[in-house]
Amino acid sequence: MAEQAEGGLCRVVVVGGGFSGLTAAVDAAETGAEVVLIEKNPYLGGRVAQLNKYFPKMCPPMCGLEINFRRIKTNPLIKFYTTAEVESITGSEGDFTVNVMINPGFIKDNCVSCNACAEVCPVERANDFNFGMDKTKAVYLPYNQAMPFKYTIDSRVCKGASCAKCVEACKYNAIDLSMKPEKIAIKANSVILATGWNPYDATRMDNLNFGKVKNVITNMMMERLSSVTGPTCGQIKRPSDGKVVNKIAFVQCAGSRDENHLEFCSYICCMASLKQTQYIREQNPDSEVCIFYIDIRTPGKYEQFYWKVKEDPNVTFTKGKVAKIEQAQGSDDVVVEAEDMTTGEKKRTTVDMVVLATGMEPSGASTKVNGFNYTPEGFGSPDKGLFVAGCSKNPMDVSKSAQDATGAAMKAIKSGQRR
Amino acid sequence: MSEQQKTEVTVKPDLEFVKDVIASGGGDLKKCYQCSTCTVVCSVTPDDKPFPRKEMLYAQWGMKDKLISNPDIWLCHQCSDCTAYCPRGAKPGEVLGAVRKMAIQHYSAPSFLAKMVNDPKYLIVLLAFPAIIFLALLHYQGFLFGEIPRNEMGQIAFSKMFYPTYYIDPVFVPAALFAVISFIMGIKRYWADMARNHPLPAGSDTTSSLIETLKEIISHNNFKKCNVTKDRSTAHLLVFFSFIGLAITTSWAVFYLYILGRPSPYPLYDPMKIVGNVSAIGLLIGITLVTNNRMKNAIKAGKGSYYDWLFISVIYVIAVTGILAQLTRLADIAPVAYFIYFLHLVFVFFLFFYAPFSKMAHMVYRTTAMVFARQAKR
Amino acid sequence: MEKKLALYICTGCGIGDAINVEKISNIAKNAQKVPVVKNHFALCGSEGLETIKADIANEGVNTIVIAGCSPRVKFEEFSFPGCIVERVPVRELAIQLIEKQEDQQIAAEDYIKMGVIKAQKGDMPEPFIMETVKTILVIGGGIAGMTSALQCADMGYEVVLVEKEAELGGFVNKLYKKIPTSLPYKEPLIVDTDIQATIKAVESNPKIKVYKSSKVEKTEGQPGAFDVTISTEGKEEVVKIGAIILAAGWKPYDATKLEHLGYGKFKDVVTGIEFEEIAKKGKGKILRPSDGKAAKKVAFVLCAGSRDPNHLPYCSAMCCASALKQTKYVRQDDDACAMVFYKDIRTPARTEYYYKEAQNDAGVMLAKADVIGVSDAGNGNMFVEMENSLLGERVKVEADLVVLATGIVPATLDDPIINLQYRQGPGLPDLELYNGFADSNFICFQYETRRTGVYAAGCVRQPMNMAEAQEDASGAALKAIQCAEHVAQGIAVHPRAWDKTYPDPFMQKCTSCKRCTEECPFGAIDEDEKGTPYFKPNRCRRCATCMGACPERIISFKDYHVDMIGTMLKSVSVPSEDDDPRLIVLVCENDAYPALDAAAKSGIKIDKAVRFVQLRCLGSTNLVWIADALSKGIDGMLLMGCKYGENYQCHFAKGSELANYRLGKVQETLSRLQLESERVQMVQLAIDEFEKVPQMINDFVERVKEIGPNPFKGF
Repeated sequence: MAEQAEGGLCRVVVVGGGFSGLTAAVDAAETGAEVVLIEKNPYLGGRVAQLNKYFPKMCPPMCGLEINFRRIKTNPLIKFYTTAEVESITGSEGDFTVNVMINPGFIKDNCVSCNACAEVCPVERANDFNFGMDKTKAVYLPYNQAMPFKYTIDSRVCKGASCAKCVEACKYNAIDLSMKPEKIAIKANSVILATGWNPYDATRMDNLNFGKVKNVITNMMMERLSSVTGPTCGQIKRPSDGKVVNKIAFVQCAGSRDENHLEFCSYICCMASLKQTQYIREQNPDSEVCIFYIDIRTPGKYEQFYWKVKEDPNVTFTKGKVAKIEQAQGSDDVVVEAEDMTTGEKKRTTVDMVVLATGMEPSGASTKVNGFNYTPEGFGSPDKGLFVAGCSKNPMDVSKSAQDATGAAMKAIKSGQRR
Repeated sequence: MSEQQKTEVTVKPDLEFVKDVIASGGGDLKKCYQCSTCTVVCSVTPDDKPFPRKEMLYAQWGMKDKLISNPDIWLCHQCSDCTAYCPRGAKPGEVLGAVRKMAIQHYSAPSFLAKMVNDPKYLIVLLAFPAIIFLALLHYQGFLFGEIPRNEMGQIAFSKMFYPTYYIDPVFVPAALFAVISFIMGIKRYWADMARNHPLPAGSDTTSSLIETLKEIISHNNFKKCNVTKDRSTAHLLVFFSFIGLAITTSWAVFYLYILGRPSPYPLYDPMKIVGNVSAIGLLIGITLVTNNRMKNAIKAGKGSYYDWLFISVIYVIAVTGILAQLTRLADIAPVAYFIYFLHLVFVFFLFFYAPFSKMAHMVYRTTAMVFARQAKR
Repeated sequence: MEKKLALYICTGCGIGDAINVEKISNIAKNAQKVPVVKNHFALCGSEGLETIKADIANEGVNTIVIAGCSPRVKFEEFSFPGCIVERVPVRELAIQLIEKQEDQQIAAEDYIKMGVIKAQKGDMPEPFIMETVKTILVIGGGIAGMTSALQCADMGYEVVLVEKEAELGGFVNKLYKKIPTSLPYKEPLIVDTDIQATIKAVESNPKIKVYKSSKVEKTEGQPGAFDVTISTEGKEEVVKIGAIILAAGWKPYDATKLEHLGYGKFKDVVTGIEFEEIAKKGKGKILRPSDGKAAKKVAFVLCAGSRDPNHLPYCSAMCCASALKQTKYVRQDDDACAMVFYKDIRTPARTEYYYKEAQNDAGVMLAKADVIGVSDAGNGNMFVEMENSLLGERVKVEADLVVLATGIVPATLDDPIINLQYRQGPGLPDLELYNGFADSNFICFQYETRRTGVYAAGCVRQPMNMAEAQEDASGAALKAIQCAEHVAQGIAVHPRAWDKTYPDPFMQKCTSCKRCTEECPFGAIDEDEKGTPYFKPNRCRRCATCMGACPERIISFKDYHVDMIGTMLKSVSVPSEDDDPRLIVLVCENDAYPALDAAAKSGIKIDKAVRFVQLRCLGSTNLVWIADALSKGIDGMLLMGCKYGENYQCHFAKGSELANYRLGKVQETLSRLQLESERVQMVQLAIDEFEKVPQMINDFVERVKEIGPNPFKGF
C-alpha cells in the first residue's frame, strides 16, 4: 500500500537525516511542502552529530541541530523514519514511489531511555559512533542528545530471544525482539538525496600506515577524542597508552587531491585541522602542533580563522605533504616525514600523535540509492524531480550544506508543485 | 639568511624546453602541483635539497640550466616510487628520465646525431650507416655475392668474414674512439657546468670520490633501495655484469688474436669462450628481466619512452644475434650464420658508435654525476 | 477561551518512587485549584494518553500540565491539538539532577507549582494577521539576482527586479569566457558565458518586472507589507513587497590601492576584470594596453589585495579558478606562456579537477611565491619580483603583461542598498563582523540576517564563484517565499517558525523610554512622530527581548509574559534554614536547557538549592523578576545563556548579550532592596557543555553562601 500525499504543496521525500537532509526537510516543510525524511541510522543528525565543534565559530553542532529538531517536532508536515533505508525509487518527476525498508531497532516508541536494558545486557559492541574507540552494550542510546531520544539494539551482536534479559528488565514493555523489517512505499512528487559522506578509509594509504603504526588517528576520530561525549570525555589522550598529547602532527590531504584515492579536494579538512589545532592548544597550553600541507585552503572568511591559528607560536605550518609515517624506535611516538619546501629539506618529525586529515568519500561510493544516477566518484547527479544536496553532491562544509540544502528544497518544491 | 644575502635571481621560463621535456617522455609533467610526495617516498635522494620535487618545478618552468647540469637528475635511478605515489599522475620518474635524455643530448657532440638517435624517423638511417660500411667491406672482399668463407678446417669462421681482422678493427676502433672523444668532450662540459652551479668544497678529491662511486656501482646499493620496482636493481646488475663479462671476453679475444695469433673460432671449453657465453646468456636473461619489469610496472611507473625502448631493443638484438650466430655457426648453417653475425656487428656498432647519444651514455654521465655528487658532499 | 486545567503526574521513570505524588496532587488541587489532577505510571504509554484524551473529550479539559519528562522528548505523544500543553520536566530537573529523595520532593513540588502557574497564566496563541502581499523584490540583476528572480517566478510569485546598471547580467557581462558549468572539466576549458539567454529568460518572464538603471531609495514597512520606493533615472515608484532578496553583488577591490604591484604605474598592469575586457575586445587575442602588441609572457599575481591584512582580510574565493581560466585565454596563442604566482591554489572540492586540467599545459606555469612588487624591466616589459618562492628565495620574472587577480568587495561595504527606514538604521546590522558582507552569523542557518524578510544571495553574502552564486540564489529565493507565506499566516519565521504568538504591548502605559526600540535585535519596533514605539509584528522573531527590556512590563505574548514568569518565581519555596539557600537559574530554552537534559541523562548531580526556569531567550529577562524573586527571599539568581561576543551563539543574535547588559543595571534594583549585586550573575553555557553545569552551579552556590542568606528570607 503506497502512502498517499495528504496535504501541502507537494510531497518531498528527503533521503538522509544529516545536516543537509534536516535543513532541506525543515525548509521544504516550512514553505508548505509535506516531507518524509528517511534516515538509515537510529538517530537524526548524521555526521555532524559526531563533531565536537564547528569551525570557525568553535560552536557546538548540537546548537543548530536542536533548533532543527525543534522545528521538526513542531511541524506536522514532517514525518521521519530512522533505521530506514531507501531500496528503490521508481516513477518520474512529479510521481515517484520511494520504497523504503525500515529495519527493526527492536525498541518501541514508548521507550523512556531509562537505561535499565543496557544495565542487564551481557553483550558489548564496538561503539561506531566513537569509531570503535570505546564500547557500548548491544542495546544502547546512540548518544546522550540523540533524536529520537530512544534506545536501539544492534542486531548484529544481540543474542536475541535466547537472551532477552533486556525484555525482562524493561518496565515499560518497550522491547520487542521479534520486530521484523518492514517495507513501505511512499508516494512523492520529488526526492532530495542527502546521504552525506563517509571518512575515506585511511588504511588504503599504505605509506601512511594507519592501523599499523600506533597513535595515528583520523580527523573524525579526533573529533570524538575531543568531545565530552567521546571515549575520553574530551581529554585528548593518545590511544595506545593514554598519554596526554603534547606534540601532534596534522597530515593534510590524507587521501584527498590524490588520483590514487580521492581525486577531489575534500573542502573541509584544512578548516577541520585548524579547528582541531585549537582543541589541543586550548586544552594543553604547552602543546606543539605541526601542520603539513600542500595548499592551505581557507576560502572566504575562513582566512581569518587561519590567521588566528597562524599567530600562535606553538603552531608550525610546513608546506610539504607527509608521505611516510613510521613508529618511532622503542616508543609509541610517531615519526612523520615530509619535505619542508621553503627550506628544501626532507625532515622527520617525532610526535606523540598524528591526525590524518582524511577526506570525505561521498556515500554513493559505497551505497547507492537505486533510482539516482551517480558520478564515478559516487556523487549523486541531479535529474528531473531528483535533487541532490550537501556532501552527497559535492564536498562541502556545514554552512555550505545548509545553503545547498535550502536551495535543493526550493528546486524540489518547484519540481513537485508543477503537477 | 638575512635580507642582504638574498641575491635576486632572474627566472627565465623557456616554453620550448618545456615542450621538449613533454615530447621526450615527460608528458604528464605539467600535472605536478608541488606536494613533494615524490621527494618523501624517494629512497635514494639526499635529505638536503632533495629531489625530484624541485626538478619537477624547474622542468615545469623550463629552467634548463637548473636541470641539465644538475647532478641530482643522475642520482635518480628511476625506481618510480615517486611515480607510483604521485597524487597527480605527473610521473616524476619519467620526467627525470626525459631530462636525463635531454642532458645527454645537450652534452654529446655532434648534436645532430643526438637528435637522430632520439627520433624514430632516423632509426633506419642510423642502422644503415654501419650496415653500408660492412656491406662495402664484404663487397670489397668479394664475399657479398661470392663464396661463403670458411677456415682451413672447413669450419664457419667469423674471423674469415673480414679477414684479416684489420678489415673490421679499422671500423670499430675509430668508432670507439669517436665515442670516447665525444664522451670526453661531453663530460668536460658537464663537469664544468656542475662545478659552476654547485662549487665543490675546497680540497675535495676526485680520485677517492671515483673509487667510492665505483664501489657503489658494483654493489648497486642505492639502486636496491627502490620499493615499487624492487626487482629492477637485480636485472640491471645482471646486465651490467654481463657487459663487464663481455668486455673481458673481447679483451681476451684481442689477446688471443694479436698476441698469441690465434684466430677464432675457439673451442667451447676455452675459458674465454666460457666467460663469453656465460656473459651472453646473462645479458639475455638480464635484458629480458628489464623488459618484464618495465611491462609489469608500466601502470605504476610509466611506460617509458622510445629512447628507453631503443636502448633495450639494441641490447636485446645484440644478445640474441650473438648467441644465435654462435649456434648457427656450430650447426654449420653457413649463410644464416654469417647473416646473423652481420646483424650482430651492425648492432654492436650501433651501440658503441651512438653510445654518447643513446641511453648507453647514462653509464658515463651517471658515473660522472655520482662522482661529482660525492665530491660535493651531496 | 474558557480554560479547564488538568494536571497529570507521571509516576514512571523513577518519579513515583522518588516523590510523594499524593502530596503534590493535593497542593495542586487545594492550593492551586486545579480541577483535574491525575497520575499514571506511564503517561506516554497508550493507556496514559487515553486517559488524557478522555478527559479532553469528556471533561472539557483544554489546558494540560504534564509533570513528567522533558518537553524535548515524547513531543508527538503529548501534543493535543486545540489544547494548551505545559510540560514540567520533573524527571530531569527534580529527580535525575538532584541526589536526595527529600530534596527531590521539594524540587518536584516547586516545578509542578510553576508549571501549573504557567498554564494558568498562559493563553492560546492567536496569530497576528494583516493584509500582505507575496511579491518578491530582488535587488541586483547579476547571475545570483536573475537566478533568484527566475526561481521565484517559476514558483508562481510576482517578482520585482531592480538593477542599478542599464543592462542585466552584472559582472558576467564583462567576461570573455567562463569556466564550464558542468563536470568533467575537459577541453575546452573556457566556454561562452551564455548570459544573454538568462537575461532573455528574465526579461521575457511575465511574472518578473525589471527595473534597470534603478535603485532602492527606501524600504518601509515590514515583511508582507514592505513599501519599497524604486527610483529610475529620477522617477520614483512605490511597490508593495512581501520579502526581499539582496543580490547586489560585488565590485573589484580598488586596484589603485595596490601601488606596489605597479597598478597605475604601468599601463600593462591590469586587473582581472580588465583582462577579461582585453580578451573580449581582442576576441581572444591578448593585446597589451600600452602598445597593442600581442602578450607572450603574461604574469598572474594572485591574492592581489586578498588575504592581506593591509587590504582585504579574507580570501576572495573566486580568483584562483578565474586566473586558471584566464591562463587559457593566453594559451590560445601557443607561443605565449601564462605564469601564475600564488600563495595557495584554492580550488576546493571538484574545482580541483579544473586546476589539474588547466595546469596540464606546457605554457601554464605556476609557482608559490609572495609577490612583493612589479618593477620596470627597461625594455617595455616588467619584472614581477617575489620572495619565498619555490623558484628561489628572491626571484624576478619578466612579463609583458601583468594581471592582478584583485579581490572582491561586497556592494554592501559602503552602501546599505536596501535603505530600510528602520529606527535602527538603513542597512543590515553586524556587517562589520563580516567585512561588509551581508553574511549570516549562523553556520547552520545561512540566510538568516537580523532583518526579517531580507535574504542575501551571491557575492554580497560571501565571496563565491558563478556556479555557487546560482545555487545560493535558490536558497535565498526559498527563504524569501517562506517568509512571505509565514507572515501571511501570522506565523513567525526562523528560529521560532511554529510560533503564532506576537508581542502585544499595552500602549496606554508606555512611557516612550525606547528601550525596546533600541534593543530589539531585529529592529522590529519603530517610533512614531511622537517617539512612541510602534510594533511591526512581521519583523519580529518572538524572542521577547522587548518584553525583557520594558521597565513598565507592558509587552506580553499570549503564552509568555512578565507576570507569568514573575509569579512562577515567587511561588518557589524558600527554605527556612539560613544555611539552606534557594537559588533560581533562568535558562535559555534553546541551548542551556537542552544541556541540563543532557546533564540529567549523564547522571550528573547538582546542588539541591537551585530551581531552573526556562525562558524563550535570555534576552527576555525582565529585571523585575530579580526584584520579585529576591524580595521573596530567594538568595540568588543566575542567568544561564548562550555565548555572546563576535562569535555569538544566541539564536536571536543579541539576547544573551542584552541580558548581560541589563545585569549591569541590576545594581540599582538591588541597592534599592539593600542587597549585594553579586547575588545575581550571568554565565555563558553552550549546549554541549553539560558537564560544566555542576561546577557553575556550585561556584555560584558557594558565592551566595559566602554572602550569607537573603535578609528577606522568611518575610
